[in-house]
Amino acid sequence: MVEKKTSVRSQDPGQRRVLDPAARQRRINRQLEALENDNFQDDPHAGLPQLGKRLPQFDDDADTGKKKKKTRGDHFKLRFRKNFQALLGEQNLSVAEGPNYLTACAGPPSWPQRPFCAVCGFPSPYMSAAVPGTVLCMKWTV
Amino acid sequence: MMDNGSIIPNCQFRSKTARLKTFTANQIDEIKDPSGLFYILPFQKGYLVNWDVQRQVWDYLFGKEMYQVDFLDTNIIITEPYFNFTSIQESMNEILFEEYQFQAVLRVNAGALSAHRYFRDNPSELCCIIVDSGYSFTHIVPYCRSKKKKEAIIRINVGGKLLTNHLKEIISYRQLHVMDETHVINQVKEDVCYVSQDFYRDMDIAKLKGEENTVMVDYVLPDFSTIKKGFCKPREEMVLSGKYKSGEQILRLANERFAVPEILFNPSDIGIQEMGIPEAIVYSIQNLPEEMQPHFFKNIVLTGGNSLFPGFRDRVYSEVRCLTPTDYDVSVVLPENPITYAWEGGKLISENDDFEDMVVTREDYEENGHSICEEKFDI
Repeated sequence: MVEKKTSVRSQDPGQRRVLDPAARQRRINRQLEALENDNFQDDPHAGLPQLGKRLPQFDDDADTGKKKKKTRGDHFKLRFRKNFQALLGEQNLSVAEGPNYLTACAGPPSWPQRPFCAVCGFPSPYMSAAVPGTVLCMKWTV
Repeated sequence: MMDNGSIIPNCQFRSKTARLKTFTANQIDEIKDPSGLFYILPFQKGYLVNWDVQRQVWDYLFGKEMYQVDFLDTNIIITEPYFNFTSIQESMNEILFEEYQFQAVLRVNAGALSAHRYFRDNPSELCCIIVDSGYSFTHIVPYCRSKKKKEAIIRINVGGKLLTNHLKEIISYRQLHVMDETHVINQVKEDVCYVSQDFYRDMDIAKLKGEENTVMVDYVLPDFSTIKKGFCKPREEMVLSGKYKSGEQILRLANERFAVPEILFNPSDIGIQEMGIPEAIVYSIQNLPEEMQPHFFKNIVLTGGNSLFPGFRDRVYSEVRCLTPTDYDVSVVLPENPITYAWEGGKLISENDDFEDMVVTREDYEENGHSICEEKFDI
């Protein structure tokens, strides 16, 4: 027997934000970007003094008698540290001909997106009344 | 032969318990307590962007603690992603020839090595389509006689990293905060996840209560003191209603087990508007000349770590079969080791008589620069 609950719909109009499609898409994009993260937490070495970071591998040189060619200073290093977006931009693919990284991306699927409950992950056809734009299953709706 | 990143972790690690040391590659095995492990990767979205980190990993692998490479006498075959950016390819040339000073280099896509391996076992076949589903993404690449059909390559932006991150999120939302525990949850994924053959049926089973829910498992998390490695509780020990009396930390997983790998088949489940692997295979083949198509359908090869999910091969087969005209034969092959398959192909190539013609020597590069690499290598 389900006890009568008060409506979960907030009476405060400020709370009840209706997400327009653009805002909803921005939220989805943020979630997808978060899936690209290597780490959720901070570097455990952050803030610690850099101990011996610059020690070269002397042993290798001594054993083989060969010198490792040193990198040619800061300019070289800067080139080696661009991020993905910068490198992609450099390729100028939007004006390139022929198949490339951008054209290779898979197109959209032939069938519609399947709705799942945002809380428990089971398939659900119901949109939440309280949180616009969210799918919930019957378990989480009043 | 280096399939960059395929077996030995191509990254560095930092642990909050070992404050002074940065661990490189397989040194992860030395870490006593890998909880909250922090990852430093040279790759971003499957492309090599951070040479500082990459060089540290390679210095370690090529150095005295590992492979002790004698560079001047050594040829290297190294894998690169499809459509690798020009600047990265040029940096690669410089680092391999000028910094490490290898005697000769062959740069290839991993799929080319897998195709070579496949044709060795199937010499009468002229075409194959390689599915490489790894950490960063999944590529569908048709090969005809060792040349890739560039115009038909498809990239799905779903890989093992995304699956693990998604699993971390849903566990954190539903049960226990594990956002910091990439290493642990990645192991959970490998231990309990599988590909469903009938998604909605498994969803129904996963909803059942008690013993009827044959999908549900209880995973005991490692604490790295008494429990070094996570494991599933044997069915007879599972407490189906109520709490466990022991001090173990337990994850109860049901639909997560198959909903996570399902993303490879339906990326739109999490809002990525891309076709899944079976649809992409069919789409790719159907964009090739009609007379070639039956040859590709007959030689679909699954490689990469995600192929190891139980049920992966059968599901790819049944979906491709449904999408393909009945007069075409469909064959989907899962090699014995989908992770080392490309590497094995590379080894075969290195033993070929014409290997010498495929490489660029350091002398070639010193005389001709990047252009000779651009001509010779099909990246």
